[in-house]
Amino acid sequence: MFCRNQTARATVARGSALEMEIRRGKFRKSVFLDTSQDSDIQKKIDHEIRMRDGACKLLAACSQRDQALEAAKSLQTCSTRIMAYMSELQRMKEAQVMQKVTRRSSDAGPMDDRLPCKGKVAISDLRIPLMWKDTEYFKNKGELHRCAVFCLLQLGGEIFDTDMVIVDRTLTDICFDNTIVFTDASPGFELRVELYSCCSEDDYSAGSTPRKLASKLSSSLGRSAGKKLRAAMEPGPCSPVSNGGASPLLLPVPSVPGPKYHLLAHTTLSLSHVQDSFRTHDLTISGNEECSYWLPLYGSMCCRLAAQPHCMTQQMMSGCLKVKQCGGDPQSWTKVFAVLKGTSLFCYHRQEDVEANIEPAFTIAVNKETRIRASEKDPHSKVQNICISNQYGGEEVTHTLTTDSREDTHRWMEAFWQHFYDMSQWKQCCDDLMKIELPSPRKPAPVTPKQGSLYHEMVIESSDDLSSTVSDILARRLQELELRSQLGTSPTWMSVFDENNPKSAGRPRPCTSRLSGHSPCTPHRLPRSPVSPHRCPQTGLLSSDASLTSDSDSHCSTSPCSHHHGWPEPPSNFSLLSSSPSRLRPRTLSLDAKLSTLRGRGYGGGGTFQCPCQPPPSSLLAPIPISSRSPRSQRSTQTTLSCSSSTSSNSSSNSEGSHSPESSEGAPFSRPSPARRSLRNLRARLDPRNWLQSQV
Amino acid sequence: MAFIPGQPVTAVVQRIEIQKLRQGDNLILGFSIGGGIDQDPGQNPFSEDKTDKGIYVTRITPGGPADAAGLMMGDKIMQVNGWDMTMVTHDQARRTLTKKKEDVVRLLVTRKSLEEAVKQSMSYPRQ
Repeated sequence: MFCRNQTARATVARGSALEMEIRRGKFRKSVFLDTSQDSDIQKKIDHEIRMRDGACKLLAACSQRDQALEAAKSLQTCSTRIMAYMSELQRMKEAQVMQKVTRRSSDAGPMDDRLPCKGKVAISDLRIPLMWKDTEYFKNKGELHRCAVFCLLQLGGEIFDTDMVIVDRTLTDICFDNTIVFTDASPGFELRVELYSCCSEDDYSAGSTPRKLASKLSSSLGRSAGKKLRAAMEPGPCSPVSNGGASPLLLPVPSVPGPKYHLLAHTTLSLSHVQDSFRTHDLTISGNEECSYWLPLYGSMCCRLAAQPHCMTQQMMSGCLKVKQCGGDPQSWTKVFAVLKGTSLFCYHRQEDVEANIEPAFTIAVNKETRIRASEKDPHSKVQNICISNQYGGEEVTHTLTTDSREDTHRWMEAFWQHFYDMSQWKQCCDDLMKIELPSPRKPAPVTPKQGSLYHEMVIESSDDLSSTVSDILARRLQELELRSQLGTSPTWMSVFDENNPKSAGRPRPCTSRLSGHSPCTPHRLPRSPVSPHRCPQTGLLSSDASLTSDSDSHCSTSPCSHHHGWPEPPSNFSLLSSSPSRLRPRTLSLDAKLSTLRGRGYGGGGTFQCPCQPPPSSLLAPIPISSRSPRSQRSTQTTLSCSSSTSSNSSSNSEGSHSPESSEGAPFSRPSPARRSLRNLRARLDPRNWLQSQV
Repeated sequence: MAFIPGQPVTAVVQRIEIQKLRQGDNLILGFSIGGGIDQDPGQNPFSEDKTDKGIYVTRITPGGPADAAGLMMGDKIMQVNGWDMTMVTHDQARRTLTKKKEDVVRLLVTRKSLEEAVKQSMSYPRQ
């Protein structure tokens, strides 16, 4: 019986008039609630309802497909969240009722059920491989069927969605870059991952059934048939779950014509799947080939699921103790301030050391192998001692702790028990602290209209005006080199490589000869050669740069027209990639555009030039590639600057190859000692002419 | 580290996590790689088996992120952030390591000394 003047209302009957009123927003459920938790959830529900209304409006208003897909995704997420919050509210109410019942009956028993500590769970690097038929993938047959997909991740009451990705048959995997962190997970968590997809080409009205019709049909067809029908017509599987499947959730969702997402696959992850590395999990796929939203999934999902229980990251207990190592002088009690965190008890000399991040005086391990017990009453003191025993190697080491009062001892024992309980519940998460990276705020990446497959990933952002890019970069290098030479460092390593590579010493390089030598080097250079003469007039630097930045740069630069080095592998590599010959392709993704990527990308040496005063280790990257070019000409230094920047961004450029290991060892700018001659053999074998290397 | 085509590859691996170093707009790792299925495996000075077309670490910048993480010259990279590196082209390997959106790379690497360490520890009888 419901009494309306009772403040704690257990449940609101489903389908009742009150429920409808609440859903329509006429009543706030908070009228009937008294706890702050419930009002929190109510606020969240209201917020989500507002978001959903906004998404509906946007969906109705927008004309572009991308916007519509994004709006539909938000709509899906909001609906799922609302349903989750409502069921959470339901459960809380029921729990309150149960509590009251047990208290009344007063046979609750000792309420010492230990609860394990909560923790953070993070899932990242979600990757779902696809399995296209080879006719579709390689031969590009048939029309390009594109789907928009995203993942919905739910753990407890937290629901997050990933970014939306457009998938077509040029992709080998669906990759979601987001890292999602759930902050309040218990060890028995269940992380539900759902993959939703929507065909991004069809006429929108085709697949959507008005929701009222759907619910009418499902209710008239009976419970199980209705569930199936609803599942087929509705995107979310949560609706049968959250309300017990008895009656459809008559949420007032307007049936907006627009893209509708359907559940394509799902899986549930739990503590046993948590590991500090990548793992593959099976997906349960719903839908079949006939569905418009179908994608040929391989059937598994790779991701990194990490968990940080709070017992590993937070201080579980701290206080002053006196510690004695067993076997030592019975009177040698050390007064410490101890902090229990993770798998250790850190003992600091003073409490202030903890905040000051000073190393603890010593550390006692507290892990699964540790045994802690309270010892018999020491006749000297009035409190019990706590003994902590660990096995270090083959021997057992025992530390004895004592506190000032019995209550303290009791509290420490309690803390240890709780800690052991937490570790037993969180299992492998307590062996070592797993790292969870929060997504770092970075400049928004340029929006790529289509996500490339593994084979076409690099996006070149700059304009087609390569020549100006080159001159900009070289101008910068010039300045940086001047600074560098002021530091007095450049001459030293230049001479180092004089003796090292006599072949490359004293080779004056007029630009034309290099270029003429350039083309016969390999016929595949043709796509690039039109570019080089264009750049030649600007500066002599640019010509050498062009040859350097072309695909097999070091090849050409160290072996000018006079002799060609056999380079078995890379030319064949390039022949694969320069499939569209002769016309100048500004965006051959893998081969070219070292220059354009120079600006944006990491180049081993280039980055360090921005601050020549950087400490030597990082600046090593800079002179290394430079030095390999330095002896060749007066302007070699500038030349090397550009080639250093081209190294990392060019798959086939490896200017640092044989010379880099040399100055990277030991003092950066001194001559290698005779002891290092033994490494020269290795370096000779690392000659990039024979074996391609890239700096990352 | 020879492998039999068609059979699963097993190796004793070490997990190495490298935080990329940001220098301006660039993210660097501080090492160089060599190898790949499109390269000549006979030129690899680090591989035991001269038909191994895997990706090897050819140089480590001292003091760089890879050095700090414990990567060593001569290591063979088996996986990068879950992506396989045993059957990739050189360019694919480089791209996988240098994704701009990732601040950290988690590698699985193998080296001879790891195999030997495992063998040694297995040969000692447990006490």
